[in-house]
This record gives sequence, C-alpha cells and structure tokens, in this order.
Amino acid sequence: MKVLGALIALVAFAHVGSPDTYFEGAAGPYPVRVIVRSPGVVPGLAQITVRLLSPQGARRVLVLPVYSDPRTAAPPPPDVAQRVPGDSTLYSAALWLMTRGSYGVQVTVEGAAGSGTALVPVMAVATSRLALDKPLGAVLLALGVFLFAGAVTLIGAAVRESGLEPGAAPDPRRTLRARVAMGVAAVVLALALLGGRAWWNRVDAAYRTGLYQPLHATTTVRTAGGARVLRLAIDDTSWADPKRQSTPLVPDHGHLMHLFLVGDSTLDPFAHLHPLPLDSITFETDLPPLRPGRYRVYADIVHENGFAQTLVSSVDVPSAGGAWRPSDPDDAWSEGFEGSGDVRRLADGSTMTWDRGHTPIVVDQEAPLRFTVTDPAGRPAALEPFMGMAGHLMLTRDDGAVFVHLHPAGTVSLAAAETFALRELGDTVRGRLSARMTAIEKGSGERGAVPAGAILMPASRSLSFPYAFPKPGHYRLWVQVKRAGRILTGTFDAQVREPTTGR
Amino acid sequence: MTTTALPAARAATRAAAPPWYVAAALVAATSAKVGVIWDISWHRSIGRDTFWTPAHLAIYLGGVLAGLACGWLVLRTTFAGDREDRAATVGFWGFRGPLGAWVCIWGALAMISSAPFDNWWHNAYGLDVKVLSPPHVVLALGIWAIQLGALFLVLSLQNRRSPDETSRVDSVLAAYTIAILLQNVSTIGIEQIGFANLAHNAIYYQVAAGGVPLLLVAAGRGIRLRWPATTAAVCYMAFSLVMIWVLQLAPATPKLAPVFNPVTHLIPPPFPLVLIVPALAIDLAMQRVGRKHDWLLSLLLGVAFLGSFAVVQWFFAEFLLGPHARNYFFGMDQWDYSSRLGPWRYSFWRAQSNPVTPSALAIAALIAVASARIGLWWGNWMARLRR
Repeated sequence: MKVLGALIALVAFAHVGSPDTYFEGAAGPYPVRVIVRSPGVVPGLAQITVRLLSPQGARRVLVLPVYSDPRTAAPPPPDVAQRVPGDSTLYSAALWLMTRGSYGVQVTVEGAAGSGTALVPVMAVATSRLALDKPLGAVLLALGVFLFAGAVTLIGAAVRESGLEPGAAPDPRRTLRARVAMGVAAVVLALALLGGRAWWNRVDAAYRTGLYQPLHATTTVRTAGGARVLRLAIDDTSWADPKRQSTPLVPDHGHLMHLFLVGDSTLDPFAHLHPLPLDSITFETDLPPLRPGRYRVYADIVHENGFAQTLVSSVDVPSAGGAWRPSDPDDAWSEGFEGSGDVRRLADGSTMTWDRGHTPIVVDQEAPLRFTVTDPAGRPAALEPFMGMAGHLMLTRDDGAVFVHLHPAGTVSLAAAETFALRELGDTVRGRLSARMTAIEKGSGERGAVPAGAILMPASRSLSFPYAFPKPGHYRLWVQVKRAGRILTGTFDAQVREPTTGR
Repeated sequence: MTTTALPAARAATRAAAPPWYVAAALVAATSAKVGVIWDISWHRSIGRDTFWTPAHLAIYLGGVLAGLACGWLVLRTTFAGDREDRAATVGFWGFRGPLGAWVCIWGALAMISSAPFDNWWHNAYGLDVKVLSPPHVVLALGIWAIQLGALFLVLSLQNRRSPDETSRVDSVLAAYTIAILLQNVSTIGIEQIGFANLAHNAIYYQVAAGGVPLLLVAAGRGIRLRWPATTAAVCYMAFSLVMIWVLQLAPATPKLAPVFNPVTHLIPPPFPLVLIVPALAIDLAMQRVGRKHDWLLSLLLGVAFLGSFAVVQWFFAEFLLGPHARNYFFGMDQWDYSSRLGPWRYSFWRAQSNPVTPSALAIAALIAVASARIGLWWGNWMARLRR
C-alpha cells in the first residue's frame, strides 16, 4: 500500500504533483482566469471555472474541449458555463475528457464587446486511484452480505414452499430439499463472488498500469576539459524505440527542454538550464558553478500533440572544475538568497518584493503570487521579456512531491497552446506540425518568440502568477526576471496550510 | 341475452384484474426495461449523461416501485394479514409474502446497492470505460430480479386460478413478462444478435440458440394459453416496435467528441428478431408431443427452433439491410454518432471470418436442445408455482 502511495505521489504531467490547470489570458476583449480541476481519471469530468477579470459584462461563457487528434471530426456543440450563484464574474462547467492525451479547451466569452476565445491546453491523464473509504466500504459490504443471505434464503423458500397449495405446510422431505438447495446456492453464489472479485482485481491492476508516468529519464554528469557536462537521456522504451515514439518534441519559449536542478538537501542551489539535443534521446548542457552534491532534476518537454510533461530524475554533481561557459544565453543559476522577510536583493543590486499580504496561503485557494522589482534607486524597474515572458516562477515542496514551472499566463505551456492554434487537418503526419512550429520560431528572428498577442508584459510593474498550491507544506519559490540583459533570480520560502474544515 | 351477458362479463373482468401489487411489479418491470433500451439509445445518440437522465429515472423508478409495493405487501401480510392472506406466501426471516414479492424486494435492494458502488467505480476508474463492470452487473441482476419477481407473481395467480374461470389475463401477463426477459436477451446479446448485419455468421445462431429457446419453451410449459410461446413472441416484437417508433420521435444532438455521424434524433434499437415463427413451431411441437417425453421433446424443440429461426432470420436480415427497410417503420440504417459511416452498413459482418457451416449449425442445434431442456425444467417449476 505504501508503494502505491509513493507511486501516486510521483505521477505527474506538465508539472509534478500539481494536476490542476491555471490560465490567465485574453478571450478576445475579455481578460479571463481559467482553472481546470483534473478528475484524476480518464474518462472523467473535469471542473472548469472561468473568472471574468474586466468589468465588461458577458452575455454567456462557452467551453469546448477539442482533442489533439486532427482526424477527429466536428466537435460537439460547446457547453454553456453556468454563472456561479453569488458571484457575478465566475462561471463554471464540466468538461468531458474522454480520451487520454491533450485537449485544447476553447473558452469563448460573448458580450457587449463582441466575442473572443482563449485556448487553454489541458492534459487528460489518469493520475490517481481512489481508495474505497471505510464507511462506504462498510455500507457496500453490509449490502453485499444482505443480498447474499437474501438470495440463499429466497432459493430455500422457493424450493420449500412456493409449489405448495396455499395453507399447506412443507413436509420434511421438502424442507430437506430446500436445505440442500440453499447449500448448493451458497456455494455457487460464493464462487460467483470470487469470480467477481478476480474481475475487480483485474480491472484494478489494468487501471494501475495505465496510470500516467512521465517518460523515464537518466541524468549523468561527466567532466570534459575542466567543464562539467550534464547529460539527460530519455531512456524510456516507449521513446527510445522510434517505432513506438509517440510524437516529436516542439520548442517551448525557443527551447526543446527546460531543465531545472534543485539541491536535494538544502534547496539552496538552483539552476534553470536549456540542454541542447544531441539526438532525439540525449540532451546536454554545461553545468554552472553549482556546489557539488545530489540534485533533483526536472525537465519540461512539450510534444507535437500538445502534451506537456515533466521528466523527473536525480543526479550527483561532482566538484567544480573550470569556468562556466553557458551552453545557452537563457541559462541561469542561483545559490541561496540575500534579504529578509519578503524582500530580496538581486544580483544587479535591484530588489524583488513579494506582495503576499498577511493572509495565510491555503491549499487549493488562489495564492497571492505577486512580485514587484525596483531598481537600486527604488524606482519600479523596467523588465525585459525573458524567453517571451515577463517572468518565470518555479516552486517546489521541500520533499520534491511538487514541482511547478509557472508564468503570468499560468501553468499552461504556451507551446502546447500553439500546437492547437496552428494545427491543420493535414497534420496527421508525424513531425509536420513540429517542423512548421520550428520554422515559425526561426523565421521570427527572436528565440522564444511567441505569437502576437500571447505575451504578457504586464501593464503594471508587478508580476502576478495565477496558481493555488495543491498540498500543504514548506515550499521554495524562485522568481526569474530579466533586466538590462541580465537574468535575475529572487528566492522565497512559503508555508502552505491545509484548509480549515467547515465554513 | 345481451342484458344478462354484460354483468357477467364485467364480473369476469373484475375478477381478472390483477391485484395492485402485481400491477405495480409489472409496471416496474416494464419501466426498467424501457429505461434500459432508452439509455442504450441515449448513449448511441447523445453520448454523455448524468444520473438524472429520463432513461436512468425510468430504470430506478422500476426498482423503487417494485421495492415499495412489495415491501408494503410483505409488511401488511405479516402484521395485518388474515389467514387467507398468509396462506399463499412463503416465509423469509419471519416475514411472509409471495415468492415474487421477495424476489422483487431483493432486486430493488440490489439496484439500490449498485448506485453508490457505481458512483465510486466512476470516480476510481473513469466513466464507464466498459459497459460491463461489476456495479453494472449488480444493477442488471437487480433489474432481472424485478422482472422475474413480476413473472412469479402473475404465475402464482394463474396457477391458483380455478379451472372454471375463463379469464386468461394473468396468463397473457405472464407471456408479456417472458417477452421482457426476451428483450433482456436482445440487450445483452446486442453485439452478437442485435444487428441484422450479424445474421450471416455462426455466433449469431449459437447465441440465439442459447438464450431464446429457454424462455420460449418455459413459456410453452408454464403459461396456460393455447399459444403461449407465440403470445410471448408477439409481445416481444410489439415491445421492440413501440420502442423503435417512439424513440425516433425524440430530437437528440451528440454531446461527446468525436462526432462522426451528426444524428438529429434518438437512434432506435435494432429491429427485433422475428421470433413469432420459431415460437409457433415450439407451440405446435409442444401441443403434439405432450408432457411425457421431455428429453425427446427438447430434441425436437431445439431443432425446430433453430431450423425455423435460421431460415427466417437469414432471409429477413437481407431485407432489413436493403433499401425498403430504411424508413420509420423498420428504423433501419440508423447509426451511433461516433460511427464513421461506410459501406459496412449494408454488408454482413464476420460472414467470412465466422461463416455459418454445417458444423457451426450442429453446435447451435446442440445449444438449442440444451436450452430447450432447461426451459422445460424451468417451465415445469413455473407450472407448479402457487405462492
């Protein structure tokens, strides 16, 4: 049972231990915040809520999940999300996610300013197996025992009395026959129940083997010419065998892989790197001057079908050698932090402040992830896009059970959204969409460029990330921004509480 | 003449009307079966559902109605019944009630038990990945129990009827209940004997030989009509036709991706098996042979069933796949929203991989004989049922 618990804790997609989707963006003229609560099973019903962030009134809000397979014929009509009673800007609906894989959920807002649609990528994977809790188990057992005993009694009554003329009493022979029939019935029913149990166990075992697990990856570090080179190999049989390879990878913010290293014991050393592919299996990058030790490795990748996943691994890093030459200009690392309370001094002398207020952070409730950056003179700092984003936030629970890579647009991968936006009917051929997406990125001249309108420099100087923590515990947060060509990392800690029961 | 006959006829009608609890059990059995057929149509046409679809409500109405009516009957008979009331009952943990009422109560409890089990199952393993799941089997057992309970109730009425009573209402109702059980065979065997496209493969005849003779022969032995199996077959076909004609009238839009076939109304169930002909053969054989040679009779019944069934279905299926059956009356050529329509609609499936060979027919005949023999045993028991 413990092993199973660990298995469930490890399973993850597009993030680790954080199955819900958070999105903030524009549905045409309407800014919206969308939350999709994963049902944990497929087929299953995901709950979607859409919050209108502008005062403009909406006539109605429509939601429609579109599966990633372009061969899928016309989707069914969208569902009208219902307004949540007591909240004039919140709408809710159920999403029927029937097949494992990735969906592009179209959120359409219709109102006085016209109609607009936001595209929210959602992964449908089975991540958990619901345990049969004790009260329900006891009720079902009691009903089962009652039905069993009832069926045996019925057979006895049928043999003993049902054929008698009204008013006649059964003779000893009939009574004996009834007892024999009841004995036989009990044996047959018990065998049927055993068969049922074996069937249930088979279903359960099949379901557990179908639980989502990210592709297996192995990370190693070798020293070459004084430099430490990290190599991550996606050595999962379903990936390494080209015949079984599902869909190729597509670049997200200009990189095929975003790799994060987190110090296993102290959480202080942290790096956000972008390994380059040697082939479709192996990725390499030079390591920054992190202290030696054991590290947790998280690698974000996005598939052509819009499926985003986080590979999980670990690696022992040997002591540092020569100087670090970043493999990629977007690589960054940090070790610990300077500052106190909610204020951090950044590497270039500027300051990052977490405007978290005084309310506690509670599981499954929107977390106050708002940050402001001021220059050394105390003025709001001008931030530059960092890989197409105003900022990146990575967070992990101290035991590694949660790891999430967030943007002001939420937990969604922009590349996954692009795969849905750019998909054409002819994209049934593997690799066609990925080639087109790569060409678009190259053609744009800027690495990490994203389609017009998809970004995300905030109007104000503060950065905000829509998210709710999935589990209680102690968390470490890294907020990365770019100022004057330099990548800056602000490191924070947070304590997340269980919600108090009752209202 | 007229003036004296009328009151007598009225009196006979009054005497023939089934007691309230039998009526309730029959309505319950019908409601559950209508619900099941409606639900299948719902899933083939609309796709998504909640607990509160009318089809589900019809199914559970069957459970609630049968459970409450029979539960009340048992309480009343046990605690407030006189000697006459209690005479035609069986004992169950100190309570008294007719056997059929107990079977209905058991079925209602099984249906109620399946609901939380099914809900948990969906939350744990997903929404009905497969139709056949343990909680659905519990539900199906509950539904069958209610239908069997209704059958036992009308049979006990029939068997207690005095020989000089002319009304045959209870016997006709028993044949109708057998028709509902025949509908169950069609429902469970929908993938083997449901569609006319299957009528040129061997499994079709083997599955039909297993399920149908048992019920028709049991009707022939247990129901006091001149043409009991034929009456059951007529009721079975009429039930299907009414469902076909009514369901097509309800507008429906598919609500689950992928939609390959944008249907506009509920897809009716497949056209029923033409059981009237084999049922006639069974009735004729049973009238000729009598009750003394049941082993010989089963042999005759099995062969008669298979021969007449195979000839009728083989050729009638060809008609059903033709252009003259693609209309409201026959309801043919209507397919699920998730079907990619193609020439397969008008062809016989698995005719090459599972052909109807002499040996396949011989196996079907053996199955039919065994099914008929079991039907005779069960029919004999049904004929003795008094309580």
